[in-house]
Amino acid sequence: MFDRRLVQNFDWILLSLALMLGFLGLVTLYSSVTAGTQVPQMEYYKQLAWYFVGLIFLVISFLFNYKIFDKWGHIIYILCISLLVGVLIFGEGSKGAMRWLKFGFFSIQPSELVKIAVIIIMARYYSKHANTTGLTLRELINPFLLTMIPFILIVKQPDLGTAIMIVLIAGSMTVFVKIERRSFLYLIVSGVLSIPLIWFFLREYQKARILTFLDPDRDPLGTGYHIIQSKIAIGSGMISGKGFLKGTQNALSFLPEQHTDFIFSVLAEEWGLIGSVIILIVFLILILKGLNVGYRCREPFGTILSVGITAMIFWQVFINIGMVMGLLPVVGVTLPFVSYGGSSLITVMISIGILINVSMRRFMVE
Amino acid sequence: MKPIEKKHIRLRTILIGFIFSIFLSVIGARAFYLQVFCSSWLSRKAANQYEKSLIFHGKRGTIYDTNHREMALSIDVISIVAYPPNIKDPAAISRSLNKTLEIDVNSLNQRLTSDRSFVWVKRKVTPKEVKDVKALDLKGIDFIAEHERFYPNKTLAAQVLGFSGIDEHGLEGIEYYYDTYLKGSTCRFTVLKDAFKRGFDTEKNVMPDCSGNNLILTIDYNIQYLAERALEEASVKFNAKSGMAIVMSPKTGAILAVAHYPFFNPNSFGEFDRNLWRNRSITDSFEPGSTMKIFSACAAIEFGGCSSNTIFFCENGKYKIGKNIVNDTHPHGWLSLQHIIKFSSNIGTVKISERIGPEHIYKTFSSFGFGEKTGIDCPGETSGGLSHYNTWAKIDAGAIAFGQGVAVSALQLITAASAIANDGILMAPYIVQAITDQNGRLIKSSSPRIVRRVVSLDTARIVKKIMASVTTEGGTGVNAALEGYAVCGKTGTAQKIDKKGTYSDEKYTASFLGFIPADDPEITVLVVIDEPRGKHYGSIVAAPAFKRIAHETANYMNIPLTVDNSFGRLVDMRIHENGARG
Repeated sequence: MFDRRLVQNFDWILLSLALMLGFLGLVTLYSSVTAGTQVPQMEYYKQLAWYFVGLIFLVISFLFNYKIFDKWGHIIYILCISLLVGVLIFGEGSKGAMRWLKFGFFSIQPSELVKIAVIIIMARYYSKHANTTGLTLRELINPFLLTMIPFILIVKQPDLGTAIMIVLIAGSMTVFVKIERRSFLYLIVSGVLSIPLIWFFLREYQKARILTFLDPDRDPLGTGYHIIQSKIAIGSGMISGKGFLKGTQNALSFLPEQHTDFIFSVLAEEWGLIGSVIILIVFLILILKGLNVGYRCREPFGTILSVGITAMIFWQVFINIGMVMGLLPVVGVTLPFVSYGGSSLITVMISIGILINVSMRRFMVE
Repeated sequence: MKPIEKKHIRLRTILIGFIFSIFLSVIGARAFYLQVFCSSWLSRKAANQYEKSLIFHGKRGTIYDTNHREMALSIDVISIVAYPPNIKDPAAISRSLNKTLEIDVNSLNQRLTSDRSFVWVKRKVTPKEVKDVKALDLKGIDFIAEHERFYPNKTLAAQVLGFSGIDEHGLEGIEYYYDTYLKGSTCRFTVLKDAFKRGFDTEKNVMPDCSGNNLILTIDYNIQYLAERALEEASVKFNAKSGMAIVMSPKTGAILAVAHYPFFNPNSFGEFDRNLWRNRSITDSFEPGSTMKIFSACAAIEFGGCSSNTIFFCENGKYKIGKNIVNDTHPHGWLSLQHIIKFSSNIGTVKISERIGPEHIYKTFSSFGFGEKTGIDCPGETSGGLSHYNTWAKIDAGAIAFGQGVAVSALQLITAASAIANDGILMAPYIVQAITDQNGRLIKSSSPRIVRRVVSLDTARIVKKIMASVTTEGGTGVNAALEGYAVCGKTGTAQKIDKKGTYSDEKYTASFLGFIPADDPEITVLVVIDEPRGKHYGSIVAAPAFKRIAHETANYMNIPLTVDNSFGRLVDMRIHENGARG
C-alpha cells in the first residue's frame, strides 16, 4: 500500500520553511515575554509545547491522502460551524469577546479552525464548478452563503479580524478560479455601495479603530496608543536593530500585546530592517511555494485547496504586519508561526501539513 | 462551460502570485520607510519615552590650608525623595512621614499625589531621621545622597574662605572666586523608565565621578589661628570696632594668614551681619597714616639723594602750609631721615616731600602698588585711592607722604612693605598655591610672581635699617620689639574722617606694619585696629598684637634667632642724634 514515491516527492522545502519560521517565531516570542523580566515566562514554555503538538498535527495532516477532505469536507465544515455556535453559547473569553471553547485542561479557538474548514468546503465546491469563462453570480450564491455563515458567527463573538480573514480567503479563492466579467463588475459595485452599511453594523470600538487608523494622533493615549508605540518600536530598531533581548520598547512595557498581535514589532525592534526583511522574504518564499504546490497539482481540488491555504497564510501575514506598521486598522489577526497562541499555531501547522500532503501526492492523479 | 485547463491554472496562479508579491512588497517598503526613513525620528521618540534624565551634582572640592588641613569640605548628607507613581497609599505615607520628619501632611500629600515621577520629601535630613524612615519601610520612598558644605574650623579664616549656599555655589571669598574649580560638575545620566514611569537600575548605575577640584591655600592654619587670637586680644582690649591682621611671606608674596575681627561662622552665615562676611583686608581701603612714611623714606633715598643721616628741620612741632598747620606729637628740631621715621615726625615727612616733590612721591607710591589692585585671587579687591599728583594741592603732597589723603587696602600696605623686606622687589600676593583634582593630582599651581623692582637694593637696605631702629629704644615701635629678633616696623595712627567730613579727634585707625628678622625677613605682619577706644596710638594698640603674632609665628616657623641682636643699635650708633626725642 505504501508508495515510495510519497517519500521521493516529500516536500522538504515546505517543511524546512515551516521549521525556519517556527524557529524565528520562538526566538521572537522568547524575547517578547522575557525581556525586562530576565527570566523566561510561562508563555514561552507553553508555546514551545504547542510547537510540538503543532508538529504532530502537521505530520498527521500529510499522512493520509488529502482527497478525504474532498470527501468529508461538508462534515468538517458542519462540525466547525457547530463549534462556532458552541462558542456563542458556552464560550469563554477575555476583554469582552467570547472566542474560546474550554475542553478540560485546554481551550481552543474554533474561529481558527473554521478558516481551514471554509478553505476545504470552498475548494470542494469550486473544483466542481470552476471553468475557464468564470463563475456567474448564480454559481457564487453557494460560496457566498458558505462564507457568510461562519463570518456572521465570528463577527458575533466578536472577532472582526478572523471574520475578515474568512472573507479574504474565500474572496481570494474565488478570484483565483475566476469570476465571469459582468458578475465581477456587479460584485465590485455592490461591494462599494455596501460600505456605509457595514459601517453601520460596526461596534463602537471597531469604528474607533478605523478612525484611529485614518488619524493615529486622534487619541494617542487611547486607541492610537497601540499603533504609535508599535511604530516607535519598529522605527527605533533602525537598520540593524537593538539586538536580541535589547529592545527597549518591548522590555520597558511600552509595546502593547507584544507577544500576540504586536509581536512583529518586537522582532523589528530587536533585529531591525534586516530582521523584518528576512522574515518577509521567508514568508514570501513560503507563499510562492504554496502557490507552486497548487500549480503543480494536477487536479482542481488540490490546486484550489493549496491556493486557499496559501491565501490564508498570505492574508494573515499581510494584515498582521500591515496593522503593526500602521498601514491597516488594528484588527485581531495573529502572525503565523510567531504570535503566541496554540489554536493559531496548530491551524498554521495543519495548513502546512495539508500543503505538504498535496505536494507529495501530485503524482497520484491520473 | 469549459473545464479548467492547465494553461488557465497557470495564468490564475501567476495572477494571484503577482498580487500577493505586490502586497508583501508594500509591507517591505513600509518597513523600509519606518526603519530607515523615519528611524531617527522614531528613535528619538522612543528615547523620550524610556529615558529619564537624572541630574547629579558632583561633590564640591575641599579647601585645604598649606599643610593639607581641611578648611572647607563637603560632606555627604541624605535627602528623602519619593516616586509618586510607585506610591499606592499617599495619604497613609504622608501621615507616617509627618510624624517622623515633622513635615506638613497636606503639602506632602499634594506632592505624593502629583503626576511627577520624582518629588522631594525632605532635604538634608539627620541620620536619625534616615534611620526612622528606613524603619518604616515605605514603598516609593527613597534616599539619595547630597552634599552639604562644612567648615570644620568654624570662624577660622572665615572671611578668606567665604562660604557657599545650600546649592553648593560659592557666594563669598575663595569659595566664590574659585567657584568654577571647586564646584562639582553637573552630570546628567540617564536611567531607563518603563511605560508606568517606574525608574530602573538607579542603584546599579555607576555614579560618574564629577567632584570638583581641591584648593590648597597658602594660608597656614596655625598662623591663622594665632593671628586671630592676637587680633582678638587687641580688639577686645581696646574695645575696637573691628580689626585686621595679615601675615605674608615677603619673599614669595604668599599670604600666610588673614585675620578679621569680629569673626563669623560660615556654617551659619545667615545669622551674622553681612558686613562681617567680606574679606575687608582686600575689599576695603582706609587712610593708613604714618606707616606710609617708610615709602616716603624710600622716595627720599631713591630720588632725593638722601641718606638716613640727611637732616631736616622739624619746626619744633608746628609747620604751617598755607592755611593748614601740620603738627607733630612731640616737637622736634632737626631730625635725620632715620629719626623722622623712628619718631614718626609728620613735619619731617612733609619736608622730605617738599624736597623731592609730589611727582616722585606719587611715582614711588604707585610703584609700590598703591592705587592699583594687587591682583590677588580673592573677589572684590579695591584699588585704594591714590589720586594723580597733578591734582594735589600744596598741602596734599605733604599729607599724602605721611599717609593722609591716600587710601590703601591692608593687603596693598603689607605687599608694599614686603617689597622693602624683599630687597626692593615687589611680589604679587596670592592665596591659592595649588589646585588638585579629586584624586589629588595637580591641575594648576601658583608660583611666586615678581611684579617689579620698586627701589634699589641699597635703598631697601637703608630703609630696613631705619625701620629696625623704630623698634629700638626711643622709637615709636618699641612695643613691637622681640627678644631674639631684630624687628623692622612702623607704627600708624590715622585720624578717621568723621561724618562732618573733617578729621575726627575720637576715631582712629591704629596700625603696625613690620617684618622679621630684620636682616633676612621671613614674615611681614600688619595689624590694623579700627576705632580703638581709650588709647589710639598704633604703638600702643597695634604694636603688641604685632609683637605677639610675629613672635608666635617666628617660633612656629622656626625662624632662626638673630645671633647678634645689634642690627638696630649698630645703625643707631652710626647716625648722629640731631634732635632729641621730646
